[in-house]
Amino acid sequence: MRVGVFICHCGRNIASVVDVHWLKNEAAKLKNVVFCEDYIYLCSEPGQKFICEKIKELNLTHIIVAACTPSLHGETFSRTLESAGLNRYLLEIANIREQCSWVHQNTPKIATKKALKLIEAALAKLTYAKPLTPLRVPMIRKALVIGGGIAGIQAALDIANGGFEVYLVEKEPSLGGHMAQLSETFPTLDCSSCILTPKMVEVAHHKNIHLFTYAEVKNIEGTVGNFEVTILKKPRYVWEDKCTGCNDCVDVCPVIVPNEFDQGLGARKAIYIPFPQAVPLVYTIDLENCLNSKKLIVCENCFKACGPRAIDFLMEEEEVKIKVGAIIVATGYDLIPLEALPEYGGGRYQDVITSLDLERLLSPSGPTGGVIRRPSDGKIPKSIVFIQCAGSRDPEHGRPYCSKICCMYTAKHALLYKHAVPEGKVYIFYIDIRAAGKRYEEFVQRIVEEERVLYLRGKVSKVFRKNEKLVVLGVDTLTGRTVEIETDMVVVAPAIISNNGGKALAQILKTPIDEFGFFTEIHPKLRPVESPAIGIYLAGAAQSPKDISESVAQASAAASKVLALFSQKRIALEPIKAEVDVKLCKGCGICVKTCPFGAIKIIKKKKKKYAQVSKAVCQGCGSCMGACKFRAINVAHFTLKQLFSQVDALLEG
Amino acid sequence: MALAQRKPLNLEKFKIPRGRVIIFEELCKGCELCIEYCPKQILELSEDYNERGYHYPVLKSGMEDECIYCLFCQEVCPDFAIFSEKVEGEGHG
Ligand SMILES: Cc1cc2nc3c(=O)[nH]c(=O)nc-3n(C[C@H](O)[C@H](O)[C@H](O)COP(=O)(O)OP(=O)(O)OC[C@H]3O[C@@H](n4cnc5c(N)ncnc54)[C@H](O)[C@@H]3O)c2cc1C
Repeated sequence: MRVGVFICHCGRNIASVVDVHWLKNEAAKLKNVVFCEDYIYLCSEPGQKFICEKIKELNLTHIIVAACTPSLHGETFSRTLESAGLNRYLLEIANIREQCSWVHQNTPKIATKKALKLIEAALAKLTYAKPLTPLRVPMIRKALVIGGGIAGIQAALDIANGGFEVYLVEKEPSLGGHMAQLSETFPTLDCSSCILTPKMVEVAHHKNIHLFTYAEVKNIEGTVGNFEVTILKKPRYVWEDKCTGCNDCVDVCPVIVPNEFDQGLGARKAIYIPFPQAVPLVYTIDLENCLNSKKLIVCENCFKACGPRAIDFLMEEEEVKIKVGAIIVATGYDLIPLEALPEYGGGRYQDVITSLDLERLLSPSGPTGGVIRRPSDGKIPKSIVFIQCAGSRDPEHGRPYCSKICCMYTAKHALLYKHAVPEGKVYIFYIDIRAAGKRYEEFVQRIVEEERVLYLRGKVSKVFRKNEKLVVLGVDTLTGRTVEIETDMVVVAPAIISNNGGKALAQILKTPIDEFGFFTEIHPKLRPVESPAIGIYLAGAAQSPKDISESVAQASAAASKVLALFSQKRIALEPIKAEVDVKLCKGCGICVKTCPFGAIKIIKKKKKKYAQVSKAVCQGCGSCMGACKFRAINVAHFTLKQLFSQVDALLEG
Repeated sequence: MALAQRKPLNLEKFKIPRGRVIIFEELCKGCELCIEYCPKQILELSEDYNERGYHYPVLKSGMEDECIYCLFCQEVCPDFAIFSEKVEGEGHG
């Protein structure tokens, strides 16, 4: 064993605290160390070349790099070893930055000693390291996209156009997500359905896309390249293959309820399509409101009216099992409910509505045919007060973040309202205007200058009713004056929050979400579309508030990651997997219960029971290793022997 | 405003089928199946007796126009004692 130790200064990050020269001299004295040197930036091209040359020149067999966290440059240095002809698993990284210089800035002496300890521990572990080869398993080159909003639609189309099969799962009866609810879109004022519907239709007709609407993902097992997915299809009580979308059933249905798609501002029947451009154009029976229940069929009006006999009240939910190699999460966002904004009269006054409600009132296919009307009396409002940041940028209520799109859509709303009601008055309460996007600032300026909209910088403290009107009390922080505005309607911009089923989905996917429930990426800057679970990618507002162009951009990025993955028929997996020592194993099964991935089972061979690990499923987490009473399981590269000797080295002296 | 509490703005666009309930009280033997199963719950038992000595169904007062013409009463009635007749020019929701 000929160990080379390389100590990085990381500019001043390490060297300003740790005495790297002393460290070099001491490390050089350690057993099996034949070479030790320090260097200003080991991760740089010359730094890596230096390591590579020394390996060749001195026939080094094992390498220790004392530098930053392996999650940053572990891969860099592993590749350096490979380029010098060494096995990448004969590398140990001693983290003397995050775990030493950064946290012990005020005690350099102790930090220096600790750095040496960390190198000793790395050496102890490295002593028992074995060369490993990556596992190569066949990859299923099909993808699952969860969520059929614009992000999911774009991702599915990109992958399908790349020649691979896609399963697209949407929980609602139609594709489209929030974009389908919008009227016109900033900054170009494209009609939302006009640009969205063709994409939805393309999805429905694409030969590579299997569309599951009114369906959810129930379970996922396996890992990148080999996920096994269970999809739950909820019963629509209408056969998709028979329904022609003729509307005859709707005419005879005797039940009228508020339409969720229209935010309750429009109605629908108990048998319905959420909106005229729905894809697929197939009716759904909402059994909760239908006069029939699972047990008793009292009204057969739709059944009798249906020419193609598509209606089936006995339809059951159905599970479909599929296999895919990669997954894209595109489950979008929600808004905080009006009831959560009592200070603005949310939930109390009918004419305090959300921005999304207003989108439905503005939409030509909405309940009012695009005429803005007050929910309370159907009159056209002569004035509107908009309240921005309703619940966002509000650390006290647990949402310190900016919802990002509200400044833009409120400007859009002001413009659309002024075009519809030129003599109408618009007041907008804002904290500051965030219009950072291509042509965004110009868009807002146009509204401020041309449309005679009054932007009031400040917060609203209260909204109350006075006869037919609402009164908005607030402070204009620029003039320091309190303002009181009588208005016909109030539109709030509620905070964008994570989709409420996101948490359950994250558990199924075994991928993290942040404190607000948004899906987490592996690195916010450099790997923004990958989740920390390999093979699972993120697109759209499921990750953080985003507008359409950003959602689409990220969807295409996620799709290109999937296409890159699918460019190979087999996939290389880390060989860091649990291994069972059959001689020590008693087949007790504790490991089976501990394994979060279902990778272990007990088998019986020649009268002996023992645990067997499926290498393709194992993630190398080590739970089984910790749980095994007989020390019969070891995770390669992190064996008990390696870990114990590492700990011993830390505790020695 | 919670979704369910909102009053949709386009209700006038939604038509629902309407029926006129016709009851042959003398045929009724008071089994109450129609009352039990009417999805709109617009029927109740009469206070009077018919010729055969049974109470029979009558429309609850104020609900005369609420029949949705589902014809379920007609289907469950063992005695052909209740019918619904379609009212043309359907009503609003
Ligand atoms: C009032 C308002 C106005 C806006 N105006 C504009 C504008 O003018 N211009 C602009 O660029 N942006 C605008 N936006 C932003 C736009 O709505 C979003 O950028 C876009 O909808 C994000 O798309 P998405 O696909 O990520 O999410 P979503 O549109 O939320 O779609 C997510 C989809 O996933 C489905 N889903 C969720 N969970 C699951 C699950 N577990 N399983 C299966 N399916 C699931 C949902 O049903 C939904 O169909 C506006 C937003 C609001 C609130």
